[in-house]
Amino acid sequence: MDAKRSPQLLIEGKGLTKSFGGLVAVRDVDFHIFEGEIVGLIGPNGAGKTTLFNLVTGVFHPDKGTLVFDGHDIRSRKPFEICRMGIARTFQIVRPFLKMTCLENTWVGTLGRGQGEGSREDRKEEARSLLRLVGLERRERALASQLTLIEKKRLEMARALATKPRLLLLDEVLAGLNPSEILQALDLIEMIRTKVKVTIFWIEHVMGAIMKACDRIIVLDQGRKIKEGPPEEVVSDRKVIEAYLGESETGEA
Amino acid sequence: MFSKRITIPILFLLLALFPPFFLSQYWLHVMIISLFYVMMASSWNLIAGFTGQVSFAHAAFAGVGAYVSGMLAVRTGLPPWLGVWVGSAAAALLGLGLGYLCIRMGGIYLSLTTLGFSEILRIIITNEDQWTRGTMGLQIPGLFSEYSKVSYYYLFLVLTVLILVLIYWIIHSEMGLTFRAVLNDELAASSSGINTIRVRIVAFTVSSAMAGLAGGLYGHYLMLITPDIPSLGQMFLVLAMAVIGGMGSFAGPIIGSFVLEILSEYIRVYGEYHVLLFGLVALGMARFAPEGLMGILDKRLRVGWSETP
Repeated sequence: MDAKRSPQLLIEGKGLTKSFGGLVAVRDVDFHIFEGEIVGLIGPNGAGKTTLFNLVTGVFHPDKGTLVFDGHDIRSRKPFEICRMGIARTFQIVRPFLKMTCLENTWVGTLGRGQGEGSREDRKEEARSLLRLVGLERRERALASQLTLIEKKRLEMARALATKPRLLLLDEVLAGLNPSEILQALDLIEMIRTKVKVTIFWIEHVMGAIMKACDRIIVLDQGRKIKEGPPEEVVSDRKVIEAYLGESETGEA
Repeated sequence: MFSKRITIPILFLLLALFPPFFLSQYWLHVMIISLFYVMMASSWNLIAGFTGQVSFAHAAFAGVGAYVSGMLAVRTGLPPWLGVWVGSAAAALLGLGLGYLCIRMGGIYLSLTTLGFSEILRIIITNEDQWTRGTMGLQIPGLFSEYSKVSYYYLFLVLTVLILVLIYWIIHSEMGLTFRAVLNDELAASSSGINTIRVRIVAFTVSSAMAGLAGGLYGHYLMLITPDIPSLGQMFLVLAMAVIGGMGSFAGPIIGSFVLEILSEYIRVYGEYHVLLFGLVALGMARFAPEGLMGILDKRLRVGWSETP
């Protein structure tokens, strides 16, 4: 980030903890994201990445800690309220509305903001333009269930963008895609970032793919934050390598 | 050049104007009852088929409409023309309250709570016989000073069309879009900014109001109301009509209501067993043709006309 203008803090979590029964899924995690940043969240399976996303989006409420988005405490807000405040997400296992068309899926995203603003046709047109943005304009009338995996992921992004988010959470958008599709998805995210100007918080299982794109990366392991910093610093960190390769204290990775 | 979407309903509506000219009194009665079931099954479909809430209180709300309107007419002399709307409002209010209490539970718990509500209401009506005359039934005035099945037929037709137009408008509006989003995936809907609880309560209340209106009309047509109106037997018949006709489609419950009501006239000789039979058929449909008669028809027509997919 350039230092010309002090960057605006968009979201900040402090001491976030969430346990399920005896399992502590997220333990005392601090994080913050500035407006305009693109921040990666990585870590091995079961590290608590999706749980952290679920805390941010109100699917779960934290047992401990604070969570402030744009100056508002969002700890105990419901998912729809958080979405209306400006946080949208995609899902690790895609969840489009399967028995609805692509246009309808995206259209739904425009409705939460209150049907007062603009007309029905405006919202429909907005949904169409988002479908164009993610490259699904020719699938407008197809049911979501008829789409391929990458198309479903594009559709989820269009639906999320339709809510006009300031913060977009992407949960493993690259998972399950083949190498050429991964490139397409990366292009799409880059384009969203430049055209829509949205801050991105991005979970990815594979480090390499988001190395280039992210300003900063946060690493979770077994619910704790073990590292945070620019990508090049994170990949060379011993604790991170150990977490990924499961090496012991000797760290011969 | 009219689209199929406009011409087919208009065609049916025109056809529906003629039955009084050639049907016997008996079959006209069957048609009137069928229209009552169209209102019931279509409004139940609005919550069950479009927001995924399987409520067992729909017949109970019809009972609320029938008893509120009927008792007001008997005790206070309120004209039934007004009473049916009061009954509808009472059902909406109760629906709102019940919805507010149990919709958060969702799924099977919603079904069980509404089942309980339905039975409690039936028991109250049966036992408070100083007010309701219990199972003996309460005689209430009709809607017309001069009894005529033809008048009732047209009245039921007009209100059925009114309810269907309202349902059609709802499911094709942006509200209907949120209904379907909630039905498809509640978490995704809520993460997309939809207040899913509110959507479900709105659907539940509107649907209850429609059942209340249908029940009130039914009561004043029969001019005798009994705890059979809010009974579970009635509820399962409505459920079977929607499921067999095709849940989640607009035309499904309409077709289901006519088919089952007309059919039940032929198998009436087996007494209460016809509900059992319909239950079994509905189960079979749910397993092998989940989209009901409408789904089967739709596929046939599509293949036949080989429309572009």
